[in-house]
Amino acid sequence: MKGGKIDQVSNNGFEPKIVGFLCNWCSYAGADLAGTARLKYPANLRVIRVMCSGRVSPEFVVKALRAGADGVMVLGCHIGDCHYQAGNHRAAKRIAILRRLLNYMGIDPRRVRLEWVSASEAQRFTKIVKEFTDDMKALGPNPMKKVKV
Amino acid sequence: MLQYKNVLTTCPYCGAGCNYYLQVFDNQIVGVLPSKTHPVSQGKLCIKGWNAGDFVNHADRLTKPLMKKDGKFVEISWDEALKTVAGKLTEYKEKFGPDSLATLSSAKCTNEENFLMMKFARAVLGTNNVDHCARLCHASTVVGLVQSFGSGAMTNSIVELEDADCIFIIGSNTLEQHPLVGRYIQRAKEKGAKIIVADPRIITLVQIADYHLRHRPGTDVALFNGMMNVIISEGLEDKQFIKERTEGIEDLTETVKKYTPEYVAKITGVPAELIVEAARTYAKAERAAIVYSMGITQHTTGVDNVKSSGNLAMLTGNVGKASTGVNPLRGQNNVQGACDMGALPNVYSGYQNVTDEKARAKFEEAWKTKLPDKVGLTIIEMMDNAVKGNLKAMYIMGENPMVSDPDINHVKEALENLEFLVVQDIFLTETAQLADIVLPATTYAEKDGTFTSTERLVQLIRTAIEPIGESRPDWKIISDLAKLMGSIDFKYNSPSEIMDEIAALTPSYHGISNARLEEGGLAWPCPTSEHPGTPFLHKEKFTRPNGKGQLFGIEFKEAAELPDKEYPFLLTTGRVTFHFHTGTMTRRTALLDREVPTGFVEINPADAEKLGIRDEELVSVQSRRGKIEIKAMVTDRIPENIVFIPFHFAECAANLLTNSAYDPVAKIPEFKVCAVKVEKIK
Amino acid sequence: MIGKVRELAKEWLTTKKVDAIFGLRKQNNDVAPYLFTDVKELKDLVLSIDNRICFTVRPSKQNIVHLIQKNSPDMKIGIIARGCDERALIELAKRFQIDLEKIEILGVACTNKDAEECLCPIPYPKTIIIGEKAEGVSLDKIKNVESLLGKTLEEKAAFWKEQLSKCIKCYGCRNVCPMCICKECKLEEDLWVKSGELPPDFPMYHFIRFYHMADRCIECGQCEKACPAGIPLLTISKLVRKDVKELFDYEAGKDVEQESPLVTTLDETPLKEEAKDVAV
Repeated sequence: MKGGKIDQVSNNGFEPKIVGFLCNWCSYAGADLAGTARLKYPANLRVIRVMCSGRVSPEFVVKALRAGADGVMVLGCHIGDCHYQAGNHRAAKRIAILRRLLNYMGIDPRRVRLEWVSASEAQRFTKIVKEFTDDMKALGPNPMKKVKV
Repeated sequence: MLQYKNVLTTCPYCGAGCNYYLQVFDNQIVGVLPSKTHPVSQGKLCIKGWNAGDFVNHADRLTKPLMKKDGKFVEISWDEALKTVAGKLTEYKEKFGPDSLATLSSAKCTNEENFLMMKFARAVLGTNNVDHCARLCHASTVVGLVQSFGSGAMTNSIVELEDADCIFIIGSNTLEQHPLVGRYIQRAKEKGAKIIVADPRIITLVQIADYHLRHRPGTDVALFNGMMNVIISEGLEDKQFIKERTEGIEDLTETVKKYTPEYVAKITGVPAELIVEAARTYAKAERAAIVYSMGITQHTTGVDNVKSSGNLAMLTGNVGKASTGVNPLRGQNNVQGACDMGALPNVYSGYQNVTDEKARAKFEEAWKTKLPDKVGLTIIEMMDNAVKGNLKAMYIMGENPMVSDPDINHVKEALENLEFLVVQDIFLTETAQLADIVLPATTYAEKDGTFTSTERLVQLIRTAIEPIGESRPDWKIISDLAKLMGSIDFKYNSPSEIMDEIAALTPSYHGISNARLEEGGLAWPCPTSEHPGTPFLHKEKFTRPNGKGQLFGIEFKEAAELPDKEYPFLLTTGRVTFHFHTGTMTRRTALLDREVPTGFVEINPADAEKLGIRDEELVSVQSRRGKIEIKAMVTDRIPENIVFIPFHFAECAANLLTNSAYDPVAKIPEFKVCAVKVEKIK
Repeated sequence: MIGKVRELAKEWLTTKKVDAIFGLRKQNNDVAPYLFTDVKELKDLVLSIDNRICFTVRPSKQNIVHLIQKNSPDMKIGIIARGCDERALIELAKRFQIDLEKIEILGVACTNKDAEECLCPIPYPKTIIIGEKAEGVSLDKIKNVESLLGKTLEEKAAFWKEQLSKCIKCYGCRNVCPMCICKECKLEEDLWVKSGELPPDFPMYHFIRFYHMADRCIECGQCEKACPAGIPLLTISKLVRKDVKELFDYEAGKDVEQESPLVTTLDETPLKEEAKDVAV
């Protein structure tokens, strides 16, 4: 699914921090393939390998945003390809609710993005990461980050 | 058939007096249900209240009387325990005289039990050596407000705070220590009230404060005087109120003259302009209330601080009407009641003096025995006398001086020096461990009685479950001991009968009976059985004999022990919202123990950096009296050069460090100021 | 109306339709839940919109109806239930906390005034035995909701930061919630909510409450009523409930047979395509 439209504005060289929760069976392998294939994608992404996008509870996302991430990506297998049958079905539903709830609490839902990337989709992986990084650059720093005293 | 019931009762923690139901399922407490009709709690509770059923069934509960044999406790029968205690107390009374004995009553116990304890001390033991922990929290309130107004209690009721236009909170971490009182301050703010917080720490209430005066601990009198200096010099005082209802304005005016905002800024560290603005805000409000707690009472100048709050309120006419007044928040569920009941060395119930012959004659007639006429010893004096060997035996009910009192090493020496110590409690507290005999008492959930909340509201507690093990209610234990010691009195079948005796002998409780309390709480004074109770005091006139409020000119005095080269930090102590006093109950409540499992010392980042101390690092804190190792909490909440330690935790007890120097009148120790050094552990 | 309720309760008890009636009783000038087995006691049976019978209780973390059934599995209980009570019972049954087979619901409809006071969307049970169906309060009539939706993201964040900073961490919202039934609670895990911190760090504590209630909130409003700090908790819960309906056509408390969409696959409960994205 796609995030809301974001106006591309230059943001004074701001480099967002992006946390990506990547499914072990597909998108993590996809990222790996992108690396092996020497495809370029922004270094803003910090990857956390999870066993399934269904493992990503919404608390993970909120905690990442609070702890300093400017954006959070959850990447899982295409529907029908889940190693555990329906983990990604759960992820799809949870993230849908999460994004709406974040909006009510004043947290920009565009900072959270769910995508399906298979093990062979290295190109798609780099494209999504680049797109999301640009989006976060345009959005600017995440205001809900906890500022260390 | 299963047994399921909901028993309405009063919370055993702070003095707010919230009511809730204990949900009981086959004699087990399974939950807590707030009462929606209660005036204060209104269907809400704090975390301690919500979990107040938890400790009742804790595995550590004392279930049998214990006797120490060869340094170890062995279980004995009630019969043997009571006979031993009665025998020993009688022996020492005969051998060394009644004043070789002393009792500590308890602000955790009911009015009925406190009444019996003071009656036991006076009528059975024959001594006025009875005191309780009010000495350690609000002794200065009792003394100070009596001198100012004639009555030593909260002048107004809690819910009235909501309609105040200005609330001045000094030395009270209200949102954490009296959360359900804090709620009315939050509500007042939402209705547009100005909030002034005077506290060196950034307490949670500061979030909603319009002014935060971070004065150095121990400089309260100067701060009050500074505000009054502004009020008088700008002509903001209530001249009519002062003329008609008070005396002593000349003395006050003369004294505060030199306390200009600039002068006070130097003493307190609060910027002069902030003092001016706070003073104007308070004085210009239509209805301004003062809320205070142990932050101003626990000082060698405790009485001065309390009287200063009375000064400020009367100077601006903020006494005797709704949503104003001077509102000391009492820390314990029944510390107000324990005072009202006369569990103090100088007064009977209703603050009738033991030295007043008429009062004494009244009690002698009622109890059919001769009563001692000499004022007894306060807690601190008891400990001093125990060390000296003048005090031979003590009977302590539901108190834990081994954690709660200042200079614990001194307390330990005192208690160990006693020839005989009886402790009656629900758990084997640090104090009980030193006892010769331990008597297992019941908790609030296993007995009937009444508590009097901080707003003077007398409310029932009701038996929810059968006593755990062989534990017995305190009122029964005291009565049995009295009878064993030869008293022909103490024949009570229920706490309700004790309340009838209290009402008969105590003017302010005269109209109170359990039958009336079944319909809801009553605020004293309640002089007749038709009287509806008194939500706010001093409406037409003050309760002092001439009906006038007394203004005092009070000079600022420094605390007894100030930081110096060797001990460069000022230590102040207090509490956290998740625990209660010595932690006897809260540390045995799973959720509360999880929140804050042990103590910590708050230290400012700048100080921490100088000492090379990191957050959560174990450090040593040392005073002239003792030394502890404790986790550091590096935080901006505390200003530079000051450290804060909550006193709940025996393993890193703040009170090993605190100073037992006390107020000359109220004899309250100076828990809030002493000098310490903080060091990295190598 | 209360006369009729008492009459019917009496009839159910005397005809042995049920062994006990679970309802509210006048007690100490107040109201508390009670298990009536004796018809003579029914004179004290009352209805109260402030009090509900389906509270989860602490520290046992088990619903009282659950405890009664565990203790007396064969007991047939008549429960005097308003719309919200019934929705709670349905959700509890769905989550294996209670056995509806042994429960007979004595459905009581709330009045218009009751509904408005509680901002209740469905102020009646599925089968109304006593009272008349009043109109529910729709989302667009609720001031707090309207005001929140009118805010920008920044304003919303500022609003909640202020509101949630009033939290004194009493856990009251969780404790009164009839649907908070987990034995292990994330609010009590340091990984998510740092222990001993006051107010709890924005926004995790309340986020967890809101999110975990997404597929089970029955809009009884007890959380908001229990909050000492007066935080308008129901505002978000109502909106999330609306979203779950939009996204999955699912309403908690409606049908015991309908599983929560969060435990089913997309094939069983599809995510509505058009509802997928969030307008900012």
